[in-house]
Amino acid sequence: MAFTITCPVCGIRRGYEFRFGGEDKGPMPPEESLASETWCEYVHMNNCIAGIQKEWWFHRDGCGSWFTIYRDTTTNQQVENR
Amino acid sequence: MKRLNQLPTFRIQYGKELSVNFGQKRCRGLEGDTIASALYANDVRIFGRSLKYHRPRGLYSLDGECSNTMMAVDGIPNVRAENTPAVDGMNIKAQNVFGKTPDFDMMRFMDELSWAMPAGFYYQTLHKPSRIWPLAIKHIRKAAGLGILSPDFHMRGKFDESYISTDVCVIGGGPAGMCAALSAADQGLRVVLLENRPWLGGYFEYRPREYQKGVPLYQRARELAESVGHTPNIRTFKNTAMIGSYHNNLITAFQRGNKSDIFTERYLEIRAGSVVVATGCIERPLLFENNERPGVMQIGCAHRLARNWGLLPGKRAAFSVGHDLGLEAAIDLADLGLDIACVADIRQDSYDSNLAAELEKRNIPFLPGWVAIRAHGSKTVNAVTLSSINATRRRKLSCDTVVASAGMTPVTGPVILPGGKLTYDNHTGFFLPATIPPQMHVAGRLLGLDDPFAIETSGLLAGLKAAADCGKPVENNLKEMAKNQATLPGPTRGTKLVTGPVKGKETFICFDEDCTLKNINQAMHRGFDVPELIKRFTSAGTGPGQGGIPGHNLPMYVAETGESPDRNPKPTTVRPPLVPVYLATYAGSNHDMSKRTPMHDSQVKAGGKMERIGVWNRARRFSSDTSARKEIENVRNNVGLLDGSTLGKFRIFGSDALKALQRVYVSDMSKVAEGKVKYSAMCNEDGCLMDDGIVVKIDENDYYMTASTGRAGQTIEWIRYHTRYDGWNFHMVNLTDAYGVINMAGPNARKVLEKVTDADVSNEAFPFAGYREFLIQNMPVRAMRLGFVGELSYELHVLSSYMQSIWDLLEITGKEFGIQKFGLEAQNILRMEKGHVIIGSESEQRTTIHDLGLGFLWYRNKPEAKTVGAFALKDTEHQKGRLKLVGFKMKESGTRVPKDGSPLVDSRIRGYVCTARYSWALKEPIGMALVDDDLCGEGTTLNIYEDGCKGKLLSAKVVSMPFYDPDGKQMRC
Repeated sequence: MAFTITCPVCGIRRGYEFRFGGEDKGPMPPEESLASETWCEYVHMNNCIAGIQKEWWFHRDGCGSWFTIYRDTTTNQQVENR
Repeated sequence: MKRLNQLPTFRIQYGKELSVNFGQKRCRGLEGDTIASALYANDVRIFGRSLKYHRPRGLYSLDGECSNTMMAVDGIPNVRAENTPAVDGMNIKAQNVFGKTPDFDMMRFMDELSWAMPAGFYYQTLHKPSRIWPLAIKHIRKAAGLGILSPDFHMRGKFDESYISTDVCVIGGGPAGMCAALSAADQGLRVVLLENRPWLGGYFEYRPREYQKGVPLYQRARELAESVGHTPNIRTFKNTAMIGSYHNNLITAFQRGNKSDIFTERYLEIRAGSVVVATGCIERPLLFENNERPGVMQIGCAHRLARNWGLLPGKRAAFSVGHDLGLEAAIDLADLGLDIACVADIRQDSYDSNLAAELEKRNIPFLPGWVAIRAHGSKTVNAVTLSSINATRRRKLSCDTVVASAGMTPVTGPVILPGGKLTYDNHTGFFLPATIPPQMHVAGRLLGLDDPFAIETSGLLAGLKAAADCGKPVENNLKEMAKNQATLPGPTRGTKLVTGPVKGKETFICFDEDCTLKNINQAMHRGFDVPELIKRFTSAGTGPGQGGIPGHNLPMYVAETGESPDRNPKPTTVRPPLVPVYLATYAGSNHDMSKRTPMHDSQVKAGGKMERIGVWNRARRFSSDTSARKEIENVRNNVGLLDGSTLGKFRIFGSDALKALQRVYVSDMSKVAEGKVKYSAMCNEDGCLMDDGIVVKIDENDYYMTASTGRAGQTIEWIRYHTRYDGWNFHMVNLTDAYGVINMAGPNARKVLEKVTDADVSNEAFPFAGYREFLIQNMPVRAMRLGFVGELSYELHVLSSYMQSIWDLLEITGKEFGIQKFGLEAQNILRMEKGHVIIGSESEQRTTIHDLGLGFLWYRNKPEAKTVGAFALKDTEHQKGRLKLVGFKMKESGTRVPKDGSPLVDSRIRGYVCTARYSWALKEPIGMALVDDDLCGEGTTLNIYEDGCKGKLLSAKVVSMPFYDPDGKQMRC
């Protein structure tokens, strides 16, 4: 509830305005010669870092953009950068 | 009981009378009374009975810090009588009373049995043998818990919520809080000031002690409150209790409404640039035998009863205190007419000698180094035994009131919740915040200050620090103010004593949970020897008072025993909400916010039975016939009109728009041609159906698309998410509310349309799956020929503002062709007859488009598009063991329609019925089901198990779909 996120367009806003988009795992690997395991790893598995992780957020009740932030998952606070 | 003559500190208004009902008793009060003061004025001393032992309980803190004075008010249990204003006609009941009045309780024998219920009694006794536990639970449940909520109770009132952004939030409207607010506001900042009581002033507000020559403290408090009131950039919330404090300076609170407010209670969430905590102190209870007997009360309670409400606490009072406020109260109450038997002070020295002299002047015996050890009297106090601290001397005095307080305790909740840490301070005897979260400052009595000027200056200083947090250049002011503070008296030395020489059997450390010192000793004896463990084993501090009473006494007592392995016991953890709050207040506004289509009013007028579907209100049907037969048959035979405005509608345009469409739609979107509609589906990464809709090419790199009603809110988010790494150039506009949709369907649809437009809408000029733009009486229309309900139909997308006009025009024109409105129920059956799925009805999160028989939509030769779900679609194309969608009919004619959601069984569950309805076109029940793939062959028997069928299964067989018009002639003609 106390969580705030700095949107690159709108500035610091309350966390409720945003939707979580998961860890930043990079773009989808190309379909050709993709093994099912690799696909599953990419789509369903997470690193679940206890510490600072880069992740995607969507400003649902605002400008409607997807962007990444760094968040310390142990304190649930946005941090500047690694 | 006679009230005192008018005092300048009164909060009641003579002449404005009210009355409340306390059980059978009618109690007269005055405007400004709380429930507690109104009852007290009518000689009510016992406000309720305690949880376990049914001991009588009465006023203690006057700030609602324990459950003693929690009462049932107008059916609401656990209302804090001390914080709730009395309202004329209120019905008040005492709680936990077995009997007519709290004076006589049939369970009072429990108190005699307390020896049989040591700490942890229930954990230890009632589980051996295990079979008695269920029985024990039943009886414990009956006896346990405070207050009874009737299952029929309907919570009245308006509950509001407010989200406030501010520069500085000051918690506590005492002198320090007001000064902090004023000094921050003076820097041009916006300030929010929260105060629990209905007025500002804190410890200044009721005391006649001199602030300056000729200015008593209460007058100073009023002056400060007035300047706060006159400062436009301070927003003051009185009657507002802080309940939570979080990182990033988020403060939550709730406000009780006055008569003039539009809300009963209001939840507040305040985000501040900086927070000043000026919550001050509460009194630390003095522990002695029967220390919670009605008649025993804290200093502030006795003093404020007289000063704010004109009620002397009794006739003859004994004081056993540990703070100068106690001496001051004794002097003032003596002057107001209370007979003071004596004033015992825990402190042997370090009291204010001027106050001692004042006591002497009034012939009040003053006993430094003495302490109360037992209150006497079975229902209310009739005497007290005092002892010297070293237990060598005792004396018993008759009295009806014991004013008892061991000292002060800071209210540190707001600092602790966001991560501040407490340490014990030897000078003040307080647990003080050693680390304070960033952008948070403390001020006032909380720090142990007692001198009025020191308190005010600490407030001014904290206000400046908050201003600095908000970027104001106040370095010089800060330096000066800190210099000022240094010249004023610092924190006063506080008492550490928790209890005099007592055995502890009836010495209550926690009132809410009926927990005695003896229980604490028992817990420690069993090895629960740190406060957190003792709390859990004895439940001390877990009651609704949130540890207000035992909070700091428990660790201090544990430290005193010297038996804890923890050399520095700390108070147990506090958690939000810090004070009891109605769930209704948390729930907030009970105003249901939903969306209406442009046709809403006229649909209601036409008798539409409206239903909430997602965010929308939609018409289910237009008659009381739940089967909607007439509407269905009219679409099949004549022509019907459906309001489909809830459909998600979007424009997507830009040089990379097509790439984005290729990414999210499974079909080959490069085939989307002008003048044609393309139906396709969106899947998630697992190939499961998320959404379906049509795409129309309006112009080069400019598309118009629809999404299903439930998905409209997420569509833009979805497309942007799946293109987030690409940096493509395209834009989206949500047109859902800008356009309304009319679905005109039925064999006569063309005849109606021909009459209202000049455009050629013949089958040749505007064939099935075509898209045309034309005018209906100068109103632009985007028309598509679709077949969701299986008849010749036109989906007209119309600007919302034109919706009603075009709808009315169609209805008037179509009269001769038998045009009728139809609702969702009719549409549901019509589309089912065609075997068309609705996402969420015939699909779930694990249903792929293959499972639904929509695999033909998937275009597999576009790997470069990285279509979402394409890989999984390839992987699951021939996968075994999936649930597949099939159509079914009942095996025997005349069988009734099975219920939606009923499982299909043989020796185990094999699937379930998605939707089943009676088809008027086929004159028999039809349905769709998701079944194990080995059951999807035509003719397979499905056994349907319905809730409460008692083993009598319905028998159905799998048939091919669509049920109606399998060749699709009707919609293409």
